[in-house]
Order: sequence, then C-alpha cells, then structure tokens
Amino acid sequence: MNVIEVKDLKKQFKVKEKEKGIKGSLKSILKPKYKEINAVNNISFEIEKGEMLAFIGPNGAGKSTTIKMLTGILYPTSGEINVMGLNPSKFRKKLAYKIGTVFGQKEQLWTHLTPYDNFKFFGAIYDLKDSEIETRIEELKKTFDLDEFINTPVRNLSLGQRIRCEIVASLIHKPDILFLDEPTIGLDPVVKQNIRKLIKKMNKELGTTIFLTSHDVGDIEKLCKRVIIINHGKMILDDLVENLKYSSKKPLEDIIAEIYEDNKLEV
Amino acid sequence: MLMEVKSQIKVMFLSIKYNIMKQMTNKVTFITNILFMILNNASFILQWIILFNIKDEIGGYTFKEVILLWGMAASTFGLSHIMFYKAFHMSDLIINGKLDMFLVQPKNVLINIITSDTSVSAIGDLLYGYICLAIYGITFKNIILFSLFTITGAIVITAFVCICSSTSFWITKGEILADSLSSLVIHIATYPGGIFKDTIKVLLYTIIPVGVSSYLGVDLILAFNIKGFIYIMVFTIIITILAFLVFNKGLKKYSSSNLMSSRI
Repeated sequence: MNVIEVKDLKKQFKVKEKEKGIKGSLKSILKPKYKEINAVNNISFEIEKGEMLAFIGPNGAGKSTTIKMLTGILYPTSGEINVMGLNPSKFRKKLAYKIGTVFGQKEQLWTHLTPYDNFKFFGAIYDLKDSEIETRIEELKKTFDLDEFINTPVRNLSLGQRIRCEIVASLIHKPDILFLDEPTIGLDPVVKQNIRKLIKKMNKELGTTIFLTSHDVGDIEKLCKRVIIINHGKMILDDLVENLKYSSKKPLEDIIAEIYEDNKLEV
Repeated sequence: MLMEVKSQIKVMFLSIKYNIMKQMTNKVTFITNILFMILNNASFILQWIILFNIKDEIGGYTFKEVILLWGMAASTFGLSHIMFYKAFHMSDLIINGKLDMFLVQPKNVLINIITSDTSVSAIGDLLYGYICLAIYGITFKNIILFSLFTITGAIVITAFVCICSSTSFWITKGEILADSLSSLVIHIATYPGGIFKDTIKVLLYTIIPVGVSSYLGVDLILAFNIKGFIYIMVFTIIITILAFLVFNKGLKKYSSSNLMSSRI
C-alpha cells in the first residue's frame, strides 16, 4: 500500500534579480526584474507503508522544498501529492495528525522547558488526553533512553540528546510517516550511530514509514533500502541502495558524488 | 467543531503558561521588568498634570478621564502583548521563512504563532491599567466594562497588527509598515479622542481602529450606550475574521527558508 504518491510535482520560486552597486539597487526599485527558479521540477514517485527512503541530492537540489510540500508547509506550483490519502495543501491540519517531522536545523522544542514539559505540550497539540500523554511519555522514555535527562531543561542538553528529544516529540502522536530532514547534521559519529539505531528500531517496532534526507552516506547506507537522488529539482535516480553500492567497486560516497557531477542539469 | 475550538483554546493557554514560565526563570528580571513598566507609564502622567494646570479640559476630557484613557490604553496594549506578543513580530517570521514549525502542527497557524511568545513588561502595563481605573473610581460596573473593553481592545489591536504584518507575504519590507502602524495605534491611544476631528476621526474608528480599542470603551464607561457597545462587539468580530482571512490568503505565498533557527 502506498502512503505517499507524488505525480509531476513542481515548485517555482520568483526571485528578484539585482544589478551590482547602488545604481543596481535604484534600478531594482524602479523597474524590478524577476527570474523564475524551478526548485522542484516535475518529479514523480511512490513510497510504500513501512519503507525507509533516502531522498538525497546536493545543496539546493530541492530536497527540503519537496519535504515541505509533502508536509503542507509549501503550496506546489503544479502536480499532485497524496500523503496518507490526503492532499497536504488542502488538509494540512488533518495530515499533521498522521505525520511527524524533524528538521535537523530547526528546533521545535522550547529550550527553557524540560523534555517532559515539551512532550506534554506536544501531546496537547495533538489532542491527547493527559493520561494518554503520560503513558506515551513512559513508553518513549524507555525506548529512547531518556531517563537521565527528561527533567533537564532542553537548553542544557547536548546536541545528540536534543535531537533524540526532537524525534521523541515528533513521535508523541504515533505518526504513520516520519519526515527527517538531515537529522544527524552536526552530530559526532557515536551519537549518529545511536540516532540511526533508534530510527531503525522505530521503523521495525512501530512500522513507521521513514522519509529521510541527509548528506551523510552512513545514514543512507545503514538505514535505507531505497534511494532517490534529485539535482536541480529533477529526479535523476530511483533505485535500491544495494544496486547502487554494487554498481561499482568504489565507496558509496564516491558513487553518489559522481552521480551529482554527471547530472549538472541546467535550470 | 466545538472540540476543535476547546482543544485550540487549551493549547493557546498552555502556550501562554509556558511563555510566562520562561520569563519567570529569572525572578529578579521578571519582577523588575513589571515594576519599571508601571513606573515608566506613571512618568507620562506628569505631562498631563502640567497641561491640566493650564486648561481644565482637553478634547472634552478632564484629568480624571485622561487617567482612565491611559488605563484603557495600557491595559489593552498589556493584554495583547501578554497573550499575543508574537503578532507584533510576525513580519520577521514571514520574511525569514520561520513559520514551518507552526505549519506542521494540527492547529490554527495564526493563533499558534501569535501566542508563541509573551512580553513580561506587558504585565506591568496591564496592572497599570487597573491602577488607573482605581484612581478613576472603582465600581462593579466600571470593573466589568473596563475588563470587557480591555479584552475587545486587545483583540482589535492584535487583529489590526496581524493584518499589517500579513502584508509581508506580498511586500518584502512589510515589517516597516507593520511596525509604523502598530506604533501609531499605541501612541494615538493615549490622547483624548476629542482632539481628532472629521476625516481623522472616521479613520480612527475604521481603518486605524484606536477609536474602537480605546476611546469608545472609555466613553462607554463614562456614559453607557447600547449603540457604542454593539459597534465595539461587531467591529471586534469583523476585524478578527478579516485578520484570519488576510493571513490565510498570504500563507499561500509563504516561502520557507533553510535558516538555522530555534525556539527560545
């Protein structure tokens, strides 16, 4: 069963162009010039329930823009999106109950509160009863080993502990799909390893579908069976990680870098 | 529908509670912020004492009535900054693409945004409003009307600021417009409405709604009339609906960003 279906998805941004210097600034006020950028350009794919997909590409390839359209943050310019049977642009709130999101570069937690208080807040956001929230926190506390720091303000936690709490907060309402946008960015190898274990455990025990973007080849290799590569908004590869790995004797990182290089597509 | 509203209100108050808890982390700063805001407001009364030594009435108000007006202006401003502080900084969130966190939650985006922060000094403004009411004269009727118009005034100011801030979805420098207009509303609210005539008076009761958030409330405490009461209520509902409509329309133009950010 497909939980995500994307067809001919496109997102265009209008960007103002300015010539250099003060003259350019004046000109841009009097006669502004715009150019259209295709951040995502006609991509189509499907993801099955329980799948762990790596959605990768170089910086500015359109990964985050795609995630943001799939979660209802951005409106697509054209194309169709179906996530858990819902169109994210039309049913953003309804969809939010079924998905979880973790943006590695953007914290969702209140830094002055403890993880426990944060989880209580997120539970209330997802309309859980107080008793349900308590039970859920207990479950997640055990699964994610939070005992040691669940009552320490988030601002005093290490980056690894914070990311762990971010993931837990996004799981409080038992989402069917978890969108992870560079969840291991800035983490040391040991913490990365722990986070990967937890993601794997979550997928195995809860059957959560994982949609992962990352620049870390380790994340892709250790977590995902399937990989989609996009560059300049276009999809350039959709294959099993295994096939990619055995397509050459080179390390996976080099193979991916070569694919990026070979597909320097014009916008 | 009713459950949804109940849940939204629960989250809204939880958010405000957590914001105040954040501010109370440093008790000394928390208390001094409130006290200094009361003192700061009180210092402005000096200029009115001087003016009322020259004239008995200004814009149809006596000194006591100006105190009541100051109280109304301070309490509406205070309540809006305690409950909906982020409305006054929403342009920055829109321009810099920082709405993602609110968009992935199953709640109303605008309410979630504006209740996501609080100004601690605004507690001083709210308290100062009630001190002014005490100076003017406390009666049961006065307290009820003052509190009611503080709530409607705070909603009107917030809705007005939300509409101004939402222009940032279309105009790059929308925050300048939002900042200027919200400052204008706050400053004008402390002058007697009687000094403004003709077109300006019409503007203040419609497009720049200081008349509705402050003057009319004070007038109704001084002499209640049902027409004025209905005007405040209907205006509050209309401007609130308008704020949601404009924001939701603008949201379709939202461009997210990949800037590093955190909730502090």
